[in-house]
Amino acid sequence: MKLYFLSTVLSGSNFFCKIWEGSGFANTGLGNILMIFVGVVLIFLAIRYSYKPLLLIPLGIGVILGNIPFLQTASYAIGIYEDGSVLHYLFQGVLKGIYPALIFLGLGAMTDLSPLISNPKLMLLGMAAQVGIFATFLGAMLFGFPIEQAAAVSIIGGADGNTAIFLSSQIANGLKLQPQALNVQNLIGPIAIAAYLYMALVPVIQPPIARLLTTKKERRIRMKPLRSLHRYEKILFSLSGLLLTAFIAPAALPLLGMFFFGNILKESGLTKQLANTASTVLIDIMLILVGITVGASTQADVFLKPESLVILLLGFVSFILATAGGVIFAKIMNLFLKKENRINPLIGAAGVAALPDSAHTIHEMGLKEDASNYLIVHATAPNIAGVIGSAITAGLLLSFIL
Amino acid sequence: MRLLTVTFNGAFIDSNVWLIALCIFCTVLASLAILAFVFARIHTIQDYRNRRKMKKEEEIQAAKPKKPVITGEENAAIATALFLYFSEMHDEEQYVTTIRKVSRTYSPWNAKIYGIWNSMKR
Repeated sequence: MKLYFLSTVLSGSNFFCKIWEGSGFANTGLGNILMIFVGVVLIFLAIRYSYKPLLLIPLGIGVILGNIPFLQTASYAIGIYEDGSVLHYLFQGVLKGIYPALIFLGLGAMTDLSPLISNPKLMLLGMAAQVGIFATFLGAMLFGFPIEQAAAVSIIGGADGNTAIFLSSQIANGLKLQPQALNVQNLIGPIAIAAYLYMALVPVIQPPIARLLTTKKERRIRMKPLRSLHRYEKILFSLSGLLLTAFIAPAALPLLGMFFFGNILKESGLTKQLANTASTVLIDIMLILVGITVGASTQADVFLKPESLVILLLGFVSFILATAGGVIFAKIMNLFLKKENRINPLIGAAGVAALPDSAHTIHEMGLKEDASNYLIVHATAPNIAGVIGSAITAGLLLSFIL
Repeated sequence: MRLLTVTFNGAFIDSNVWLIALCIFCTVLASLAILAFVFARIHTIQDYRNRRKMKKEEEIQAAKPKKPVITGEENAAIATALFLYFSEMHDEEQYVTTIRKVSRTYSPWNAKIYGIWNSMKR
């Protein structure tokens, strides 16, 4: 009887031991706790300060999901890097560049390109993002990143999360780029986190820099109202934009092709339901999937490396440079423009690719200086140019490296 | 400077890296400039379309049969005649006041048969 009791207790404790071994508590490490804390911080930033909640909440939850510790030897098939897991299948959309392309489709369907068509010279302000991109590229090379990883990291400088994910999924995905080459490092997680974090922090980072580089008088410049446009003009713009960019950088076709396709759906006026789906339901689904999978890809063993810290640092510096570059470029342009055509230099800061957050931030800055000076429409133009410029750069870098 | 496993070294950027960065930067700048140039010309195409449309309309107008030309003197004479006609329309009044008889429908409220005198005994 006693023996039976003892054996029952022992087998019971064995079961408990097994449960304990399989639990997260037994397998947790400092890295997991740190990453779960990062996830919580992202959610806090989104909810407390409304910093890009549509992105940061799925991303934060993804970071937490990806860092829940479990017994590695058990074949649960739950980790994002494990074959057969749900997250692994969902992550294919990132690895194959499907989600960024579909997000671009939605962006195209929701963006009104009229400000850019009415005032095409604002296209040049899209150079602001490029300053950031090339500063990051050189910075990453200085820190000893191989050229393909430096190229992937560089897109953070344009503050364009989708393009950054697209490029990193192609050339910094932890796989072999060429059959004879060595595996490249997987930097999708750090790059995406850095890009989205700086996109979310646009209202914090950009205003002080823009204010520092402009005078009160310059910030109060009123820009000429936009001319009205014919529907055909808008369609012609999208078509010519698609053809030109696709011919210059065919590697960026998944992004720019989808962007202009979405815009033609919107502007044609005959495919309203398709444009509505792309700009609402489809883009929302993609944001959920990108957020959760990219977040989950930041497993502590993949993410917690000195490289990630360097990427975050480079992103921050290059974002400042991009903002400053845009403002300075707008001021230089003003030297050559007539008084009535002058540009408010604040909108130069919107030349980064954080669409539409940057334009909104600049608009609010303008309103603080002059309550009746509405810059939102004008600031959207360099913002779109930044997106187009970043995508072209990504295409050129991709075609150069592959 | 050594930062854990990441090394910071200026020697990592050789002339090739500069060349790549510069080439790509210039290409993107040129692409944006080309786009700006093309988009600046789009409204010229629209203007050309509008001008053609206007020209066509003018041609259609020109092709229509011309109305007879009326000289200024004739116009003035017509205008004076119209003015005189309309301003003298009410010159002759009838000066007769007409009182129209209004027929009223029967209402029993003041009918004699319901008068108080009928109920009084004489």
